[in-house]
Amino acid sequence: MSVGFLLIHAKPQRTTAMLLSWALFITGIALYLYIANQRHRDNPEERVTPSIAQMARGMYDAALKPAEDDDQPAEGGSMLQRFRNSMLWKDTKATSRRFIYSMLLLIPAVLLGLHMGLFPYVGAFFLRFVLFFDKIVALSLLPILFIAFGIDELAKVMLIVVGVTPTIILDTFNLTRGVPNEQLVKAFTLGAGDFAAAYRVVLKQIMPRVLNSIRLNLKSVMLFLFAGEMIASTDGLAFRIALLRRHMGMDVIIPYVLWVALLLFLVDLGMRVLNRKLHPWFQES
Amino acid sequence: MALIEIDDISVAYGTPAKTVLDSVSLRIEEGEFVCVLGQTGCGKSTLLRLVLGSEKPLAGRILIDGVEHHQPDRTRGYVPQRYSLFPDKTVLDNITFGPEVSEFGLFGHMTPSFYRRRRELRREAFGYLERIGLRESDSRKYPDQLSGGMQQRVAIAQALMTKPRILLMDEAFSALDPGTRRGMQQLIRELWKATGTTILFVTHNTQEALRLGTRVIVLAKDGPERGSRVKLDLPVPDPCFEEEIPHLVHRLESGAGWHAVSAHSC
Repeated sequence: MSVGFLLIHAKPQRTTAMLLSWALFITGIALYLYIANQRHRDNPEERVTPSIAQMARGMYDAALKPAEDDDQPAEGGSMLQRFRNSMLWKDTKATSRRFIYSMLLLIPAVLLGLHMGLFPYVGAFFLRFVLFFDKIVALSLLPILFIAFGIDELAKVMLIVVGVTPTIILDTFNLTRGVPNEQLVKAFTLGAGDFAAAYRVVLKQIMPRVLNSIRLNLKSVMLFLFAGEMIASTDGLAFRIALLRRHMGMDVIIPYVLWVALLLFLVDLGMRVLNRKLHPWFQES
Repeated sequence: MALIEIDDISVAYGTPAKTVLDSVSLRIEEGEFVCVLGQTGCGKSTLLRLVLGSEKPLAGRILIDGVEHHQPDRTRGYVPQRYSLFPDKTVLDNITFGPEVSEFGLFGHMTPSFYRRRRELRREAFGYLERIGLRESDSRKYPDQLSGGMQQRVAIAQALMTKPRILLMDEAFSALDPGTRRGMQQLIRELWKATGTTILFVTHNTQEALRLGTRVIVLAKDGPERGSRVKLDLPVPDPCFEEEIPHLVHRLESGAGWHAVSAHSC
């Protein structure tokens, strides 16, 4: 006999569903606070599980105090000015810049996937190579990339190219191949040429799914970006986390991790909203 | 010279090759409404795709107005059974897509003259919307928001908007309920009379072929291992009265031949 909440046709009430969706968050936070409290009672200097007050202080320092020792202290400056001189802002800016480069690199990847899916000669030329490239574990190439491209931005960007673009190329390729042939034939009979059919019919149809695919790969982009920053960088969120690890700075590391998650959540939300605005027809289906 | 000349074509698929069409020859004159009948798998749609240019025959050739075409183009409009409309475009944009893309190409919509021309095209498209029985408010809908019948109406308007000389319809009404189907049959017949477009209509429904066509071509195989050939190629008298159709269907499907049928009724 099935239990009530394990019925496929069960319809939880809105309030119940809401409470259930937050339950694990609340449990996790409560558990953390309990453990932190216990450990602080045993050792007031405890740093592995910082208290909320410690984390707040750490985050305050990261977000509102000057990033470098030689920076002018922004005494009396507005909150915004102080934030813009802070370590958190500078790290976020550096990581965001690399993240934007990575996202821009996905545009040629999408176009390549589209052309591979539509034009048989392009497909024949690239497909085997991309499939092979896709199987390479990007992180295993890190030493080669740093030797070949140095430890500057280019190596980190190349790491993302190796890590993420083959997936996006193959996703776009498969989405392109999934467009019914009738649609292409129809476009030709209406007077479209090859490129008009590719860009005005196929690309437009696959775009919402491509955006979803990119959304699903955001974490991979960040993973490779963080790997690059942690190993060879002088700024960035991952660099800071790696640096603070040496000093057991969990009071800053935990808020930084949450900050990264929040940023990624906002990027994902932004892309979802953009997708809905740009492709209302896709939401309808 | 006939508008469409199908000259001794054969088509085979797979390994080992299985013949689908075997030495099929046809001549279709301008303005005809030709219905191609046959059982599922007899090669009706293959024949249509050959005329469309999206497939190549193993042997033989197809001439459109005396010229061989190797890929689909705007001389031949196309209404398939499914995926007939672009899901990312509204009804109005679907209808105007053809003239827009053929006149302005890939980047033409970025030029100022495009917007002037688009206004004209939209006016024309509204005319088509009215003819196919859709309201102005439907023009802003996406295909997913339309019923199957409405989608096919729009697909016909979309195809006719480019004024093709030939309209190829592949089981275009097969997925529709009987009532909608009858409405669509009337509509396409009216549009054919009004525009004079040559129509090649593939169907497995004998009644539909008799209601619509001025000529019916029946494709059938001589045996399970043989490809289909033209078994019957007969004109449908005009007008063909509705009450006679069941009788004609019976005659046609029982293989009694057309002479007896046409003498008896229409």
